[in-house]
Amino acid sequence: MTARLPAEPVIRARGLTMTYGALDVLHGVDLDLHRGEVLALLGPNGAGKTTTVEILEGFRRRTAGDVRVLGTDPERGGDAWRARIGLVLQSWRDHRRWRVAELLTHFATYYADARDPAELLDLVGLTEQAGRQVDRLSGGQRRRLDVALGIVGRPELLFLDEPTTGFDPEARHEFHLLIEHLATEEGVTVLLTTHDLAEAERLADRIAILVGGRVRAHGTPAELARRAAARAEVRWTADDGTPHRRRTEDPSRLVWELHRDATGPIAGLEVRRPTLEDTYLHMLHRQDEDAEVPAG
Amino acid sequence: MKGPHMTGHPRAGLRRGLIELGHLLHNPKELAGHLSNVVIALVIAGYIGDEVPGTRTPMSHLVLAGFAAYLLFQTGLVNLPQMLVTEREEGALLRLRATPGGIPAYLIAKCLLIVATATGTLVLLLAAGALLVDGPLPHGPGDWLTLLWVTALGLLAVVPLGAAIGAVLPNPREALALIMLPTMGLLVTSGIMFPITSLPGPVQQVSALFPLKWTAQGLRAALLPDGARAAEAAGSWELPLVAGVLAAWAVAGFLLAVPLLRRAARRESGSRLSARRRRAAANGAVPAEG
Repeated sequence: MTARLPAEPVIRARGLTMTYGALDVLHGVDLDLHRGEVLALLGPNGAGKTTTVEILEGFRRRTAGDVRVLGTDPERGGDAWRARIGLVLQSWRDHRRWRVAELLTHFATYYADARDPAELLDLVGLTEQAGRQVDRLSGGQRRRLDVALGIVGRPELLFLDEPTTGFDPEARHEFHLLIEHLATEEGVTVLLTTHDLAEAERLADRIAILVGGRVRAHGTPAELARRAAARAEVRWTADDGTPHRRRTEDPSRLVWELHRDATGPIAGLEVRRPTLEDTYLHMLHRQDEDAEVPAG
Repeated sequence: MKGPHMTGHPRAGLRRGLIELGHLLHNPKELAGHLSNVVIALVIAGYIGDEVPGTRTPMSHLVLAGFAAYLLFQTGLVNLPQMLVTEREEGALLRLRATPGGIPAYLIAKCLLIVATATGTLVLLLAAGALLVDGPLPHGPGDWLTLLWVTALGLLAVVPLGAAIGAVLPNPREALALIMLPTMGLLVTSGIMFPITSLPGPVQQVSALFPLKWTAQGLRAALLPDGARAAEAAGSWELPLVAGVLAAWAVAGFLLAVPLLRRAARRESGSRLSARRRRAAANGAVPAEG
């Protein structure tokens, strides 16, 4: 932690616990999110991602634990608190009959210091669709409108729930540029949940992996990759044509040794550094070993 | 809480209501749905030529007054719940919940929309009735006053109730099925299309528990001449009773609607929205995702 960071994080959760009847969904989630940071929350279905986020959004009551979002307990967050938070969920199909600009202009009136709707349309690339009915937008356009509605009130904290599900690669790229702009240029703090590891790696300053109702790992993408599967994999083809693969802590040394013993260039030489995906899968695998009963 | 939000609710709500009213007026399909009742009432009124038994009032006048009551009833108990359930399922309620002052603005907008559609169709029915099929209009200021307060109370008796129903019903498809059957039952038993006195006593007593019979009776008091009182069950308009029963329904509806709406809004979240959508997909025989 550097001295520049404000004393209080935007999100601070300690020992967050959620129980539905006999079912434990969260057992003691700790989470910190500082101003201007992008945090990706990863985890398989049923890990408690949605529950965690909905508690932070103030939509669910927790069973136990201490939670502060923008200095307020989300369960007691009133309108003034709501005005500082933006939401982009994946399930929205609402306001179908409204026109794009009409809807954005309307929602701007709920905030004291709203963005200019025309500038916002430009920012999310919907200027051409301003007069179109929401029902007639493509999936990607609809999601960009959701983002525009999420940030129209200049939120300090933005929740993004699997924002690029169903996007084509170009739309995804555009969307990533937009989120990067918000985070780096405007200092918006972002909590992103996603299944897309490449997206998490690209957008997030830090990643938290939630498995079985606990944060199993968190850190920068690079830190995570180093921590879980520290060994890189080296692959090559021997002179007799048999393929080899070996895991090593020191791939550089192994490659040097191979070259020292070789008579010429080594066929099919490949060094694979551990990726975030390796980390993630490793983490899930360990969860399976830990668990005494299959996760429901 | 700061100033702009406090004064923001009513204005944002009114703007929202006006925009939604504009959408309704530009949607031919939905507009036709609202007008079909008016047309049906006019056709029936133009077709029947009898007089209400024991009076010199044309039967068509009784039918038009009855349909006017039914329009109010349907707006509050069929259209409103359907609207609420649909908007809940699409996520509008959740979005407004996540917006400062969103829920109060939503409720104000819905009230505006409901009052506008109910009075709009009512005025259309009475005006078109008077012009096309020699339908009834109030005689004198007293009758106009009665028309006004019965309309207002008739709407107040069903709007909170409709909101409460809209807050608990699972989805738009089931909602329509669950609401339409009892509504149709009351349409037949509440003295809308023929004098209530022609029905067996027990049926009359059951329908007297519900607001439709009383709204219809109040509107007949406003629209029909005094001579038509002879065809009423009590031989009079019973206006104090009309006011009492409708007010009781309004109060009961409010007491029911406030906690239920609050609960519905509080329960909205992204995952519930997705879960409902998955169920809807499953019911529609579409393979559910995830």
